[in-house]
Amino acid sequence: MRNLIAKLALATAVLGSGLGAAAADTANIWVRADGSNFMPRIVDAFNKAHKDQIKLDIIPNAEIIPKYGAAAAGGTAPDALSLDLIYTPSFAAAGQLEDITDWAKSLPYFASLSPAHVKTGTYKDHIYGLPFSADASVLIWNKKLFKQAGLDPEKGPTNWAEIAADAEKVNALGGNIKGFYFSGNCGGCNIFTFTPLIWASGGDILSEDGSKATLDSPQLRGAIDLYRSMVKKDLVPAGAQTDTGANFFAAFAAGNIGISPSGAFAIGALNTQYPNVDYGVTFLPGKDGGWSSFAGGDNFVVTKGTKKLAVVKEFLDFAYSLEGQTILAKYGSLPVRGDIAKDALKDLDPRYQIAAEAMAKGKTPYSVVFNDLINSANGPWTQMVNEVFFGDDVDGAIANAQETMQSIIDQAPQK
Amino acid sequence: MTTIATTTTAPPRARKLVGAGRRQWIGLLYVAPAVALVMVFFVIPLGMTAWMSLHNWPLMGEHSFIGLDNYVAILRDTRFWNALKFTGYYTVIVTIAIFAIAFPLAIFIEKPRPLTNLYRTFFFMPAVVGFASASLLWSWLLNVDSGLFSPAAYDLGLIDKKFNLLATFQPAFWSIIAMVVWKVAGFTMIILMTGLQSIPQDLQEAAVIDGAGPFARFRAITLPLMRRTLALALILSVAGSILAFDQFYIILRGGPRNQTLTAVYWIFNQSFVSFKLGYGAALSMVLLVILVALSLIQLWLLRKPEGLD
Repeated sequence: MRNLIAKLALATAVLGSGLGAAAADTANIWVRADGSNFMPRIVDAFNKAHKDQIKLDIIPNAEIIPKYGAAAAGGTAPDALSLDLIYTPSFAAAGQLEDITDWAKSLPYFASLSPAHVKTGTYKDHIYGLPFSADASVLIWNKKLFKQAGLDPEKGPTNWAEIAADAEKVNALGGNIKGFYFSGNCGGCNIFTFTPLIWASGGDILSEDGSKATLDSPQLRGAIDLYRSMVKKDLVPAGAQTDTGANFFAAFAAGNIGISPSGAFAIGALNTQYPNVDYGVTFLPGKDGGWSSFAGGDNFVVTKGTKKLAVVKEFLDFAYSLEGQTILAKYGSLPVRGDIAKDALKDLDPRYQIAAEAMAKGKTPYSVVFNDLINSANGPWTQMVNEVFFGDDVDGAIANAQETMQSIIDQAPQK
Repeated sequence: MTTIATTTTAPPRARKLVGAGRRQWIGLLYVAPAVALVMVFFVIPLGMTAWMSLHNWPLMGEHSFIGLDNYVAILRDTRFWNALKFTGYYTVIVTIAIFAIAFPLAIFIEKPRPLTNLYRTFFFMPAVVGFASASLLWSWLLNVDSGLFSPAAYDLGLIDKKFNLLATFQPAFWSIIAMVVWKVAGFTMIILMTGLQSIPQDLQEAAVIDGAGPFARFRAITLPLMRRTLALALILSVAGSILAFDQFYIILRGGPRNQTLTAVYWIFNQSFVSFKLGYGAALSMVLLVILVALSLIQLWLLRKPEGLD
């Protein structure tokens, strides 16, 4: 009899453990290659500490949207996706995403989440995306070259005139050294690093709700003149004109550039891959001072109808914990929770604090056709920046872009 | 017919008919895999493309039937027509350039002489490289800072400022032409060479005896007898150029300032950047019709003249 009871107990235990194992669930998430540094680390940390598991796929930046679209059409989309935040409105408009409004608002730290992310994650007053990774735009300068040029290596430029003057002095060092760098044929790079100059001066390129293109602002014209004057004075390498973004970071990292607008990602990348480059980080200034920043990075979105919502929420909870935010910060993303950002960054390079501060006030234009307008290599924004920085007909290029952008906005699916 | 059929039932004939029928079936079986491939990879996708072109079909979300609206929208799509115009311009230039290089090369390597095989291999080699790989290679060669041409010219003191070949239309366009000719001329050369070799030698010899010079022989014998080969090479070159995409996407991204957007690039852009798959399908159908029409015109122009044989 005792034997039988023991056997029964054993069977129950086996069955119980079996049921326990079956209850553990695995959710599949995708991330674009930009997240290939921090994403595997946070997924590993989550998987080690939880019964439920995350299976991660890293997809090349240019392929993730078409691939997700095809997968969604075929019913094989991942349960969730870390998605470039600018795409959230159009994904939500397509009816592809799970409405997570109630859950999002129930998070005790909801009010501290990056406002720019939450704004792009919101469509028709419902929340479809929550902040995951973040990147702010900053200005970086090469301290060694500043010193050689007789400038104060500890002081970065704080307005447009100083940018131009400092770049000219560094450029005078000659040889392969150039004063300034930007990717002149990259829409995404320039919305990230050029528009903050305009915003900080009080202008904009799109109306608040994304319904009007406002390229006729004098602030845009002023910022264009700043870049044009530097190109004319030969302070910018010839390759910048055709750089589609491939050299966005590499040019500065090579150590021959005085000043370059860049992103917070550059801090981690320079520290780990180019420890010999001594650099400073400051805000992207307005014409007469002040500053602004683009709020970039990813929103975390959930595929409509997924059966793994519980796991996905568990993972996002972990990412928002101090441990999760610290892992993200350590491997290249800024924290997205303002209330614990300082703690998450406290053991890291102090230059991150500048970026985190920029992020808190960061701005992201809102549009369901952001890709068509801005990121597309053949869109009106990319075409315009190339023409106005390097071409002859600035007014014509602006007018043409204004018209094309407005017509794309007007033809977009109604919001 | 029936009467004849019923009266011709003699055993030997019946056996023959059965044999022919069986051979037909066996023949069909032999080509079945090819037919299946054509069906799966051409006919069915073509049908699906035509079907999609009648829909508002976003990459994500529901699609809906809209009849011919996509085709009406194409009429107003100035960027497509500009892209088509540029594609036509590129096709004419590149085809002339390819033939201008490939024909002399074909004549040069046609007759066996010392090192001919080496030359043939050397000229043909770029043709085995894929267009994407070749484009990547050239985009590196043409890079103003880290490539070969501009830095080498600068280091040798030939220019005092590095020149960005891809920044303005003319140099960028001709860089692409150079790359495509480098890659394709060898292939066209081989086709033309086989055409040249198929011309009966006695015709040439007879013409020599009649006192015809090299130019007269080329005009009166070589060119007419090369018509079929030229037609093949021309159609391949024109069709390939109308469908040009890789080199413009990889090296120029349609730049500078969208001046080198080709028709296929615009289809790609509408389908996979703007995510309008239905519209992209309609554009594809239009391009297909243009391509078929152009090929038919070329075949008609280069058809065998009456009485020549």
